[in-house]
Amino acid sequence: MPKQDSNIQKKIDHEIRMRDGACKLLAACSQRDQALEASKSLLTCNIRIMAFMSELQRMKEAQVMQRVALRSADAGPTDDRLPCKGKVAISDLRIPLMWKDTEYFKNKGELHRCAVFCLLQVGAEIHDTDMVIVDRTLTDICFDNTIVFSEASPGFELRVEMYSCCSEEDYSTGSTSRKLASKLSSSLGRSAGKKLRVAMDPGACSPISNGGGATLLLPLPTVVGPKYHLLAHTTLSLSHVQDSFRTHDLSISGNEECSHWVPLYGNVCCRLAAQPHCMTQQMMSGCLKVKFGGDPQSWTNVYGVLKGTNLFCYHRQEDVEANIEPAFTISINKKTRIRASEKDRHNKAQSICISNHYGGEEVTHTLSADSREDTHRWMEAFWQQFYDMSQWKQCCDDLMKIELPSPRKPTLVTSKQGSLYHEMVIDTSDDISTVTDILARRMEELELRSQLGTSPPWMSLFEESPGCPRTHNRLPHSPLRCPRPGLLSSEASLTSDSDSPCSTSPCSRYSGWAEPLSLSSPSSHFRPRTLSLDAKLSTLRGRGYGGVLQCSCQPPSSSSLAPIPAQCVPQATLSCSSSTSSNSSSEGSHSPELSDGTPFSRPSSARQSLRNLRAKLDPRNWLQSQV
Amino acid sequence: MSFIPGQPVTAVVLHFQLSCALQQRIEICKLRQGEHLILGFSIGGGIDQDPGQNPFSEDKSDKGIYVTRVTPGGPAEVAGLMMGDKVMQVNGWDMTMVTHDQARKRLTKKNEDIVRLLVTRKSLEQAVRHSMM
Repeated sequence: MPKQDSNIQKKIDHEIRMRDGACKLLAACSQRDQALEASKSLLTCNIRIMAFMSELQRMKEAQVMQRVALRSADAGPTDDRLPCKGKVAISDLRIPLMWKDTEYFKNKGELHRCAVFCLLQVGAEIHDTDMVIVDRTLTDICFDNTIVFSEASPGFELRVEMYSCCSEEDYSTGSTSRKLASKLSSSLGRSAGKKLRVAMDPGACSPISNGGGATLLLPLPTVVGPKYHLLAHTTLSLSHVQDSFRTHDLSISGNEECSHWVPLYGNVCCRLAAQPHCMTQQMMSGCLKVKFGGDPQSWTNVYGVLKGTNLFCYHRQEDVEANIEPAFTISINKKTRIRASEKDRHNKAQSICISNHYGGEEVTHTLSADSREDTHRWMEAFWQQFYDMSQWKQCCDDLMKIELPSPRKPTLVTSKQGSLYHEMVIDTSDDISTVTDILARRMEELELRSQLGTSPPWMSLFEESPGCPRTHNRLPHSPLRCPRPGLLSSEASLTSDSDSPCSTSPCSRYSGWAEPLSLSSPSSHFRPRTLSLDAKLSTLRGRGYGGVLQCSCQPPSSSSLAPIPAQCVPQATLSCSSSTSSNSSSEGSHSPELSDGTPFSRPSSARQSLRNLRAKLDPRNWLQSQV
Repeated sequence: MSFIPGQPVTAVVLHFQLSCALQQRIEICKLRQGEHLILGFSIGGGIDQDPGQNPFSEDKSDKGIYVTRVTPGGPAEVAGLMMGDKVMQVNGWDMTMVTHDQARKRLTKKNEDIVRLLVTRKSLEQAVRHSMM
């Protein structure tokens, strides 16, 4: 037992180190999304530490009980058969949301956003999903992770917990930690309190060790930053395992008043699959003689392998490795009957009779092993297999597929730079609705400025091109192709105020209504529509940005997002755009580069009413995505 | 698809629309391009989108998912998908009440090689007119 103890202790130490790291990161980071990730790591570490501690406690208790049992006289050899363990995988978690009408169609104000993730626990093994930002434009929260627990017993309990955190608070509450520190120090003894005080210093989050050698884990040190709360939970077990999607009920804690509230429908859908080891591993193998039916003479020598619901009989042992088909296969399933037969006159050892029903007929195979011990071992293996199948129930009918989780996408961390573009962190769930907010804020600033009379030339970019950036799909692989835009969509909703259609363009079929990017003609230099978010925002920043933008096409990254610049945007477009501020006619299609004729942003008069502007920045637009 | 005058056309009454519409089942085999599986068309619409800007819908409050473009020679075109089709279902998933992003995701699941769409198309006549433009 001490070896297992030290294993757990090592894990605890590891988690404590991770927790320290998360504390430090949380204290140091300034960007909201980094803070959310760090806070998530912190919570996960804490929960893991507690789970390991309980596990350690349990093991110690079990040791004590065992010692007590050994000492007592009536401790006979326990003959309990233990079922085999198995892999349990949970994937495709989907939690439907139920937004209220009023919330959903709200036009004013910022999107209320929450950061959400799930923790999945079997025993002391805890996995976390990626974090997803949830706002009212989502109808379901989807976690794409597949999480596999490798050594679960059939009586496992998979606890699914959903944590959420409001993604908008201001986290700079430095005084709280100090207040709490002084409170704690006054309630504990003097020396312990002093130590605590030191520990509470932001940045010093390590546990204190007392004289006894065991580390004293503090109650979670107050950290400045976003805090997750448990929003919902449920427990799944063997009865929920099925080779398809199922819906389960969630127990929800919290209500609308909480800041971390997300309106859950009350269900969680997922695929919970299990692969018991008896189905995937060879439980027994060895040389056997097999006789079909009652014919006393027809013994065949085979190499038998018991795996799953079959006894595979190969001609030779080498065939197993070589993946050659077995000579024949005997079913071993719930309906199979196996018994040891009486000693045959001709054989010294007992034989094993296996009976199956194949389509109404009873078919019997008789096995004979080389020695008594082997026979005994085979019987034992069969009994164990039956026991496992009775414990794992539906998981042993057929082998359920479990896809191995693909390597996690690395979370993008943006470097802190001055440009607007770099303020945006794009998380792995393809949702950059943060951009809307930033743009909205910026627009408000600009409105104020425009009200003062000065209207920057690039303002016209926003006149009729409301920004609702959304990332779209993965970059196509070929470097010739320009990646999709779909961001700061000039393509969306250009119709409203423009009455002069791009009728000169053969491609645009609908007046002013923009066409999506054509990926099928790679030969084209560039498209006006590839004006990426970056390009637009560079004009924002530069105001008459004269230089040529980076023109290298970005190779597709492993993550599916890439509004990251480097799209082919020649300077001409920019000058086109900035020069159009002065005129109001349909300019887009006349520029030589815009030979596809797709309309670009069409400025009209420089003055727009405030309300108009807000409406344009509404995240609801008519986006298009390439699939 | 040729328009044969005099041949009956399946008519489906959609919600409050009294338009002549065809329901089509389209099976698209995704094409692998590098590390991506593409279908070869673009979609627009969604319950979080502004339906007034949908050029394909008859009812301008229709927030459904519409095919806005079909890549020539792509898997979707080969399967018979046409621009202007309204996507009702994808592999059994409803697409009439989804957000734009949700719709995109349902079409681009990595573990699916084939998507079976149920689409609605305006009447043959209009379809022919479209294709002639």
